[in-house]
Amino acid sequence: MEVNLAINKKPLTLNLKGNETLLEVLRDNLSLTGTKTACQESECGTCTVMINGKAILSCITLAANVQNQAITTIEGLAEGDVLHPVQQVFIEHGSVQCGFCIPGMIMSSVALLEKNPTPTQAEVEYALDGNICRCAGYPKIFEAVHDAGKKMKKS
Amino acid sequence: MLLNPLTLHLPKTPLEAARLYKELEDSKVLAGGTFLLNSMKLLKTKGTKTSRNILSLANVDELKGVSLEGGTLTIKAMTRINDLLDASLPDGHLKILHEVCRNISTNPIRNMATVGGNLTCRYTWTEMGAVMIALDAKMHFLGVDGLEDVMDAEDFFKNAARSEKLFTHVTIKTLAAARTAYRRVKKTIHVDVPLLAICLKAEIKDKKWYNTRVGINNGVAFAQRDPILEAFLNKSVSSPDLGKEALGHLTTTIYDTRSSDYKKHMFRISLKTAIEEIVSWK
Repeated sequence: MEVNLAINKKPLTLNLKGNETLLEVLRDNLSLTGTKTACQESECGTCTVMINGKAILSCITLAANVQNQAITTIEGLAEGDVLHPVQQVFIEHGSVQCGFCIPGMIMSSVALLEKNPTPTQAEVEYALDGNICRCAGYPKIFEAVHDAGKKMKKS
Repeated sequence: MLLNPLTLHLPKTPLEAARLYKELEDSKVLAGGTFLLNSMKLLKTKGTKTSRNILSLANVDELKGVSLEGGTLTIKAMTRINDLLDASLPDGHLKILHEVCRNISTNPIRNMATVGGNLTCRYTWTEMGAVMIALDAKMHFLGVDGLEDVMDAEDFFKNAARSEKLFTHVTIKTLAAARTAYRRVKKTIHVDVPLLAICLKAEIKDKKWYNTRVGINNGVAFAQRDPILEAFLNKSVSSPDLGKEALGHLTTTIYDTRSSDYKKHMFRISLKTAIEEIVSWK
Protein backbone atom coordinates (compact mmCIF):
# COMPACT_ATOMS: atom_id res chain seq x y z
CA MET A 1 0.00 0.00 0.00
CA GLU A 2 1.08 3.58 -0.67
CA VAL A 3 1.73 5.39 2.57
CA ASN A 4 2.23 9.17 2.85
CA LEU A 5 4.30 10.24 5.80
CA ALA A 6 5.58 13.66 6.88
CA ILE A 7 8.81 13.08 8.75
CA ASN A 8 10.92 15.98 10.00
CA LYS A 9 8.94 18.34 7.76
CA LYS A 10 9.69 16.26 4.65
CA PRO A 11 6.79 14.56 2.83
CA LEU A 12 7.54 10.99 1.82
CA THR A 13 5.61 8.36 -0.06
CA LEU A 14 6.55 4.79 0.76
CA ASN A 15 5.29 1.50 -0.54
CA LEU A 16 4.62 -0.54 2.59
CA LYS A 17 2.88 -3.78 3.44
CA GLY A 18 0.80 -2.15 6.16
CA ASN A 19 2.09 -4.18 9.11
CA GLU A 20 5.26 -2.11 9.67
CA THR A 21 5.56 -0.18 12.91
CA LEU A 22 6.70 3.40 12.66
CA LEU A 23 9.87 2.35 14.47
CA GLU A 24 10.69 -0.21 11.78
CA VAL A 25 10.04 2.29 9.00
CA LEU A 26 12.20 4.96 10.62
CA ARG A 27 15.13 2.67 11.26
CA ASP A 28 14.95 0.08 8.46
CA ASN A 29 13.42 1.99 5.55
CA LEU A 30 14.70 5.49 6.24
CA SER A 31 17.92 4.81 8.22
CA LEU A 32 16.80 7.28 10.90
CA THR A 33 18.52 5.24 13.60
CA GLY A 34 18.54 7.99 16.21
CA THR A 35 15.21 6.56 17.35
CA LYS A 36 16.29 3.54 19.36
CA THR A 37 14.77 0.10 19.60
CA ALA A 38 14.85 -1.76 22.91
CA CYS A 39 11.88 -3.36 24.67
CA GLN A 40 9.51 -3.06 21.69
CA GLU A 41 6.58 -3.37 24.07
CA SER A 42 5.95 0.22 25.14
CA GLU A 43 7.76 0.02 28.46
CA CYS A 44 11.11 1.75 27.99
CA GLY A 45 10.52 4.91 25.92
CA THR A 46 13.69 4.67 23.79
CA CYS A 47 11.57 4.71 20.63
CA THR A 48 9.81 7.98 21.55
CA VAL A 49 9.10 10.37 18.68
CA MET A 50 6.70 13.28 18.41
CA ILE A 51 3.51 13.28 16.41
CA ASN A 52 1.82 16.66 16.14
CA GLY A 53 3.98 17.84 19.05
CA LYS A 54 3.10 14.97 21.39
CA ALA A 55 5.46 12.27 22.58
CA ILE A 56 4.37 8.84 21.40
CA LEU A 57 5.94 5.39 21.15
CA SER A 58 6.91 4.39 17.62
CA CYS A 59 7.17 0.70 18.56
CA ILE A 60 3.40 0.45 19.01
CA THR A 61 2.40 2.75 16.18
CA LEU A 62 1.54 1.43 12.75
CA ALA A 63 3.27 3.61 10.16
CA ALA A 64 0.27 3.45 7.85
CA ASN A 65 -1.94 4.69 10.67
CA VAL A 66 -0.16 8.05 11.06
CA GLN A 67 -0.23 9.26 7.48
CA ASN A 68 -0.03 13.00 6.84
CA GLN A 69 0.68 13.80 10.47
CA ALA A 70 3.72 15.80 11.56
CA ILE A 71 6.25 13.20 12.74
CA THR A 72 9.42 14.50 14.37
CA THR A 73 12.38 12.32 15.25
CA ILE A 74 15.58 13.19 17.08
CA GLU A 75 17.18 13.88 13.67
CA GLY A 76 14.60 16.60 13.00
CA LEU A 77 15.36 18.78 16.01
CA ALA A 78 18.59 20.48 15.00
CA GLU A 79 18.53 23.38 12.51
CA GLY A 80 21.47 22.54 10.27
CA ASP A 81 24.54 22.48 12.52
CA VAL A 82 22.75 24.20 15.39
CA LEU A 83 21.47 21.78 17.96
CA HIS A 84 18.04 22.17 19.51
CA PRO A 85 18.36 23.90 22.93
CA VAL A 86 17.40 20.65 24.67
CA GLN A 87 20.13 18.71 22.84
CA GLN A 88 22.69 21.43 23.60
CA VAL A 89 21.81 21.59 27.28
CA PHE A 90 21.95 17.82 27.66
CA ILE A 91 25.60 18.03 26.49
CA GLU A 92 26.40 20.99 28.74
CA HIS A 93 24.96 19.28 31.82
CA GLY A 94 26.71 15.96 31.14
CA SER A 95 23.28 14.32 31.11
CA VAL A 96 24.40 11.49 28.84
CA GLN A 97 25.88 8.35 30.33
CA CYS A 98 25.55 5.31 28.04
CA GLY A 99 23.27 7.48 25.89
CA PHE A 100 20.82 4.84 24.77
CA CYS A 101 17.77 6.43 26.39
CA ILE A 102 18.75 9.98 25.46
CA PRO A 103 16.94 10.38 22.11
CA GLY A 104 13.70 9.31 23.78
CA MET A 105 14.38 11.50 26.82
CA ILE A 106 15.02 14.47 24.56
CA MET A 107 11.87 13.92 22.51
CA SER A 108 9.74 13.73 25.65
CA SER A 109 11.49 16.82 27.03
CA VAL A 110 10.93 18.83 23.85
CA ALA A 111 7.25 17.86 23.81
CA LEU A 112 6.94 19.04 27.42
CA LEU A 113 8.90 22.28 27.05
CA GLU A 114 7.16 23.38 23.88
CA LYS A 115 3.93 23.27 25.86
CA ASN A 116 5.32 24.41 29.20
CA PRO A 117 8.85 25.91 29.26
CA THR A 118 8.83 26.41 33.03
CA PRO A 119 7.72 23.06 34.42
CA THR A 120 7.96 22.17 38.08
CA GLN A 121 10.10 19.20 39.07
CA ALA A 122 6.93 17.13 39.45
CA GLU A 123 5.81 18.10 35.96
CA VAL A 124 9.20 17.10 34.51
CA GLU A 125 9.08 13.73 36.24
CA TYR A 126 5.49 13.20 35.12
CA ALA A 127 6.28 14.05 31.49
CA LEU A 128 9.32 11.78 31.44
CA ASP A 129 7.69 8.91 33.32
CA GLY A 130 7.65 6.79 30.17
CA ASN A 131 11.39 7.04 29.59
CA ILE A 132 13.62 4.68 31.51
CA CYS A 133 17.35 5.35 32.03
CA ARG A 134 19.21 2.14 32.92
CA CYS A 135 22.17 4.19 34.09
CA ALA A 136 19.82 5.96 36.53
CA GLY A 137 21.12 9.30 35.34
CA TYR A 138 17.89 11.08 36.13
CA PRO A 139 19.21 14.01 38.24
CA LYS A 140 21.39 15.35 35.41
CA ILE A 141 18.61 14.78 32.91
CA PHE A 142 16.09 16.66 35.04
CA GLU A 143 18.57 19.54 35.57
CA ALA A 144 19.03 19.79 31.83
CA VAL A 145 15.29 19.88 31.17
CA HIS A 146 14.79 22.78 33.58
CA ASP A 147 17.71 24.68 32.07
CA ALA A 148 16.58 24.01 28.52
CA GLY A 149 13.14 25.35 29.38
CA LYS A 150 14.67 28.62 30.55
CA LYS A 151 16.67 28.90 27.32
CA MET A 152 13.65 28.09 25.16
CA LYS A 153 11.58 30.70 27.01
CA LYS A 154 14.25 33.37 26.41
CA SER A 155 14.46 32.61 22.72
CA MET B 1 8.74 -7.61 11.11
CA LEU B 2 7.22 -7.30 14.54
CA LEU B 3 3.71 -8.00 13.29
CA ASN B 4 2.12 -10.65 11.13
CA PRO B 5 0.75 -9.60 7.74
CA LEU B 6 -2.47 -7.63 8.03
CA THR B 7 -4.87 -5.52 6.04
CA LEU B 8 -5.40 -2.06 7.50
CA HIS B 9 -8.82 -0.47 7.00
CA LEU B 10 -9.07 3.30 7.48
CA PRO B 11 -12.70 4.48 7.42
CA LYS B 12 -13.42 8.20 7.63
CA THR B 13 -16.95 8.28 9.03
CA PRO B 14 -18.59 6.56 12.00
CA LEU B 15 -21.11 4.85 9.71
CA GLU B 16 -18.39 3.47 7.45
CA ALA B 17 -16.55 2.26 10.55
CA ALA B 18 -19.74 0.66 11.91
CA ARG B 19 -20.27 -1.16 8.61
CA LEU B 20 -16.72 -2.50 8.56
CA TYR B 21 -17.03 -3.46 12.24
CA LYS B 22 -20.02 -5.61 11.34
CA GLU B 23 -18.77 -7.00 8.03
CA LEU B 24 -15.07 -7.70 8.51
CA GLU B 25 -14.22 -11.21 9.54
CA ASP B 26 -11.14 -12.07 11.58
CA SER B 27 -10.76 -8.44 12.66
CA LYS B 28 -9.77 -6.19 15.55
CA VAL B 29 -10.45 -2.52 16.15
CA LEU B 30 -7.38 -0.28 16.42
CA ALA B 31 -7.98 2.79 18.60
CA GLY B 32 -4.80 4.02 20.33
CA GLY B 33 -2.97 0.76 19.77
CA THR B 34 -1.43 0.51 23.22
CA PHE B 35 -3.15 -2.81 23.98
CA LEU B 36 -3.66 -4.20 20.50
CA LEU B 37 -0.21 -3.72 18.99
CA ASN B 38 1.55 -5.16 22.04
CA SER B 39 -0.83 -8.10 22.08
CA MET B 40 -0.33 -8.78 18.37
CA LYS B 41 3.45 -8.65 18.73
CA LEU B 42 3.36 -10.99 21.70
CA LEU B 43 1.15 -13.48 19.87
CA LYS B 44 3.48 -13.41 16.87
CA THR B 45 6.50 -14.24 19.04
CA LYS B 46 4.54 -17.24 20.34
CA GLY B 47 3.75 -18.31 16.79
CA THR B 48 0.06 -17.66 17.30
CA LYS B 49 -2.10 -16.36 14.49
CA THR B 50 -3.30 -12.76 14.79
CA SER B 51 -6.25 -11.00 13.19
CA ARG B 52 -5.96 -10.47 9.46
CA ASN B 53 -8.07 -7.31 9.34
CA ILE B 54 -7.32 -4.25 11.45
CA LEU B 55 -10.03 -1.61 11.57
CA SER B 56 -8.34 1.67 12.47
CA LEU B 57 -10.48 4.52 13.79
CA ALA B 58 -7.63 7.03 13.50
CA ASN B 59 -9.21 8.96 10.63
CA VAL B 60 -12.74 9.12 12.04
CA ASP B 61 -12.66 12.68 13.32
CA GLU B 62 -16.28 12.53 14.50
CA LEU B 63 -15.20 10.02 17.15
CA LYS B 64 -12.85 12.50 18.85
CA GLY B 65 -13.53 15.12 21.51
CA VAL B 66 -15.10 16.01 24.84
CA SER B 67 -18.12 18.29 25.21
CA LEU B 68 -20.61 19.44 27.82
CA GLU B 69 -24.14 20.30 26.79
CA GLY B 70 -27.34 20.55 28.78
CA GLY B 71 -25.83 18.97 31.86
CA THR B 72 -24.48 15.96 29.96
CA LEU B 73 -20.79 15.29 29.44
CA THR B 74 -19.96 13.46 26.21
CA ILE B 75 -16.63 11.72 25.76
CA LYS B 76 -16.08 10.29 22.30
CA ALA B 77 -14.43 6.93 21.86
CA MET B 78 -11.24 8.13 20.17
CA THR B 79 -10.51 10.79 22.80
CA ARG B 80 -6.95 10.25 24.01
CA ILE B 81 -6.43 9.88 27.75
CA ASN B 82 -4.27 13.03 27.83
CA ASP B 83 -6.89 14.95 25.85
CA LEU B 84 -9.48 14.07 28.49
CA LEU B 85 -6.94 15.05 31.14
CA ASP B 86 -6.55 18.45 29.44
CA ALA B 87 -10.28 18.90 28.79
CA SER B 88 -12.26 21.42 30.74
CA LEU B 89 -14.65 19.56 33.04
CA PRO B 90 -17.43 21.06 35.16
CA ASP B 91 -16.69 21.65 38.82
CA GLY B 92 -17.86 18.86 41.08
CA HIS B 93 -17.88 15.12 40.88
CA LEU B 94 -16.84 14.76 37.21
CA LYS B 95 -13.44 16.25 38.00
CA ILE B 96 -12.64 12.72 39.13
CA LEU B 97 -12.05 11.90 35.45
CA HIS B 98 -8.92 14.06 35.54
CA GLU B 99 -7.60 12.05 38.48
CA VAL B 100 -8.37 8.79 36.71
CA CYS B 101 -6.54 9.89 33.55
CA ARG B 102 -3.59 11.31 35.46
CA ASN B 103 -2.96 7.91 37.01
CA ILE B 104 -3.07 5.84 33.84
CA SER B 105 0.27 4.43 32.72
CA THR B 106 2.97 6.74 31.33
CA ASN B 107 2.93 9.99 29.39
CA PRO B 108 3.45 8.58 25.86
CA ILE B 109 0.83 5.93 26.55
CA ARG B 110 -1.61 8.59 27.73
CA ASN B 111 -0.91 10.48 24.49
CA MET B 112 -1.87 7.41 22.48
CA ALA B 113 -4.43 5.40 24.45
CA THR B 114 -8.09 6.27 24.07
CA VAL B 115 -11.11 6.22 26.35
CA GLY B 116 -12.85 3.86 23.94
CA GLY B 117 -9.91 1.50 23.87
CA ASN B 118 -9.70 1.44 27.65
CA LEU B 119 -13.41 0.61 27.93
CA THR B 120 -13.72 -1.95 25.15
CA CYS B 121 -10.35 -3.72 24.92
CA ARG B 122 -11.71 -6.55 27.11
CA TYR B 123 -8.75 -6.61 29.48
CA THR B 124 -10.28 -7.03 32.94
CA TRP B 125 -7.74 -4.76 34.63
CA THR B 126 -8.37 -1.51 32.76
CA GLU B 127 -9.53 1.21 35.08
CA MET B 128 -12.22 3.17 33.22
CA GLY B 129 -14.87 0.48 33.67
CA ALA B 130 -15.21 0.91 37.43
CA VAL B 131 -15.29 4.68 36.99
CA MET B 132 -17.99 4.65 34.33
CA ILE B 133 -20.10 2.26 36.42
CA ALA B 134 -19.79 4.52 39.47
CA LEU B 135 -20.70 7.59 37.42
CA ASP B 136 -23.73 5.75 35.94
CA ALA B 137 -22.41 6.40 32.44
CA LYS B 138 -24.30 5.42 29.29
CA MET B 139 -22.36 3.78 26.48
CA HIS B 140 -23.46 4.48 22.90
CA PHE B 141 -23.05 2.05 19.99
CA LEU B 142 -23.67 2.62 16.29
CA GLY B 143 -25.11 0.00 13.96
CA VAL B 144 -24.81 -0.34 10.18
CA ASP B 145 -28.36 1.04 9.85
CA GLY B 146 -27.22 4.29 11.48
CA LEU B 147 -29.28 3.53 14.57
CA GLU B 148 -27.78 3.89 18.01
CA ASP B 149 -27.97 1.52 20.96
CA VAL B 150 -27.50 2.93 24.45
CA MET B 151 -26.42 0.69 27.28
CA ASP B 152 -25.59 1.30 30.95
CA ALA B 153 -21.86 0.87 31.51
CA GLU B 154 -22.78 -1.63 34.23
CA ASP B 155 -24.70 -3.80 31.74
CA PHE B 156 -21.90 -3.58 29.19
CA PHE B 157 -19.43 -5.07 31.66
CA LYS B 158 -21.97 -7.65 32.88
CA ASN B 159 -22.03 -8.74 29.24
CA ALA B 160 -18.23 -9.22 29.39
CA ALA B 161 -17.63 -5.98 27.45
CA ARG B 162 -18.97 -7.41 24.21
CA SER B 163 -20.99 -5.56 21.61
CA GLU B 164 -22.27 -6.29 18.12
CA LYS B 165 -22.08 -2.60 17.26
CA LEU B 166 -19.33 0.01 17.18
CA PHE B 167 -18.75 1.91 20.42
CA THR B 168 -18.85 5.63 19.62
CA HIS B 169 -19.11 7.61 22.86
CA VAL B 170 -20.04 7.69 26.50
CA THR B 171 -22.35 10.18 28.21
CA ILE B 172 -22.49 11.12 31.88
CA LYS B 173 -25.01 13.36 33.64
CA THR B 174 -23.72 16.13 35.87
CA LEU B 175 -25.20 15.98 39.38
CA ALA B 176 -25.10 18.98 41.69
CA ALA B 177 -25.08 17.00 44.95
CA ALA B 178 -22.70 14.24 43.86
CA ARG B 179 -19.28 13.57 45.31
CA THR B 180 -16.71 11.10 44.04
CA ALA B 181 -13.51 9.42 45.16
CA TYR B 182 -11.11 7.20 43.23
CA ARG B 183 -8.34 4.83 44.23
CA ARG B 184 -5.98 2.83 42.05
CA VAL B 185 -3.22 0.48 43.17
CA LYS B 186 -0.53 -0.85 40.83
CA LYS B 187 0.72 -4.43 40.82
CA THR B 188 4.36 -3.39 41.09
CA ILE B 189 6.29 -0.17 40.92
CA HIS B 190 7.97 -1.39 37.74
CA VAL B 191 5.09 -2.21 35.43
CA ASP B 192 1.97 -0.10 35.33
CA VAL B 193 -0.70 -2.78 35.52
CA PRO B 194 -3.47 -1.95 37.99
CA LEU B 195 -3.92 -4.38 40.85
CA LEU B 196 -7.24 -2.80 41.69
CA ALA B 197 -9.27 0.32 41.04
CA ILE B 198 -12.31 1.59 42.89
CA CYS B 199 -14.58 4.56 42.30
CA LEU B 200 -17.30 5.78 44.64
CA LYS B 201 -20.03 8.25 43.79
CA ALA B 202 -22.55 9.40 46.36
CA GLU B 203 -25.12 12.14 46.61
CA ILE B 204 -25.35 13.66 50.04
CA LYS B 205 -28.00 15.88 51.59
CA ASP B 206 -27.97 16.88 55.25
CA LYS B 207 -25.15 14.34 55.70
CA LYS B 208 -27.42 11.51 54.47
CA TRP B 209 -26.05 9.32 51.67
CA TYR B 210 -28.24 8.35 48.72
CA ASN B 211 -27.84 7.13 45.12
CA THR B 212 -24.46 5.69 46.04
CA ARG B 213 -22.66 3.69 43.38
CA VAL B 214 -19.51 1.72 44.06
CA GLY B 215 -17.56 0.63 40.97
CA ILE B 216 -14.94 -2.03 41.59
CA ASN B 217 -12.25 -3.39 39.34
CA ASN B 218 -10.59 -6.40 40.94
CA GLY B 219 -8.61 -7.28 37.81
CA VAL B 220 -10.03 -10.81 37.82
CA ALA B 221 -13.55 -10.12 36.58
CA PHE B 222 -14.89 -7.21 34.56
CA ALA B 223 -15.74 -4.08 36.54
CA GLN B 224 -18.80 -4.43 38.75
CA ARG B 225 -20.83 -2.81 41.55
CA ASP B 226 -20.74 -3.76 45.22
CA PRO B 227 -24.46 -4.00 46.13
CA ILE B 228 -23.98 -4.73 49.83
CA LEU B 229 -21.69 -1.76 50.37
CA GLU B 230 -24.01 0.49 48.37
CA ALA B 231 -27.03 -0.60 50.46
CA PHE B 232 -25.13 0.09 53.68
CA LEU B 233 -23.93 3.52 52.55
CA ASN B 234 -27.41 4.49 51.33
CA LYS B 235 -28.67 4.05 54.90
CA SER B 236 -25.75 5.97 56.36
CA VAL B 237 -25.05 9.41 57.68
CA SER B 238 -21.63 10.99 57.20
CA SER B 239 -19.37 10.59 60.21
CA PRO B 240 -15.61 10.33 60.72
CA ASP B 241 -15.97 6.58 61.39
CA LEU B 242 -18.08 5.76 58.35
CA GLY B 243 -15.15 4.43 56.33
CA LYS B 244 -14.18 2.01 59.07
CA GLU B 245 -17.77 0.89 59.68
CA ALA B 246 -18.34 0.30 55.97
CA LEU B 247 -15.66 -2.38 55.89
CA GLY B 248 -18.09 -4.67 57.73
CA HIS B 249 -20.55 -4.43 54.84
CA LEU B 250 -18.73 -5.63 51.73
CA THR B 251 -19.65 -8.11 49.01
CA THR B 252 -16.64 -10.14 50.01
CA THR B 253 -16.50 -12.35 46.90
CA ILE B 254 -15.55 -9.29 44.83
CA TYR B 255 -12.55 -8.55 47.01
CA ASP B 256 -11.45 -12.01 48.06
CA THR B 257 -11.57 -13.98 44.79
CA ARG B 258 -7.99 -14.80 43.81
CA SER B 259 -6.70 -12.02 46.06
CA SER B 260 -3.51 -12.13 48.07
CA ASP B 261 -3.52 -10.80 51.62
CA TYR B 262 -1.81 -7.67 50.28
CA LYS B 263 -4.53 -7.11 47.71
CA LYS B 264 -7.30 -7.63 50.26
CA HIS B 265 -5.56 -5.15 52.56
CA MET B 266 -5.21 -2.60 49.76
CA PHE B 267 -8.89 -2.98 48.92
CA ARG B 268 -9.85 -2.22 52.52
CA ILE B 269 -7.53 0.76 52.79
CA SER B 270 -8.73 2.09 49.44
CA LEU B 271 -12.41 1.77 50.32
CA LYS B 272 -11.98 3.25 53.80
CA THR B 273 -10.01 6.27 52.62
CA ALA B 274 -12.29 6.83 49.62
CA ILE B 275 -15.35 6.93 51.90
CA GLU B 276 -13.50 9.28 54.26
CA GLU B 277 -12.67 11.52 51.32
CA ILE B 278 -16.34 11.76 50.39
CA VAL B 279 -17.29 12.45 54.03
CA SER B 280 -14.83 15.34 54.19
CA TRP B 281 -15.57 16.59 50.63
CA LYS B 282 -15.18 20.34 50.18
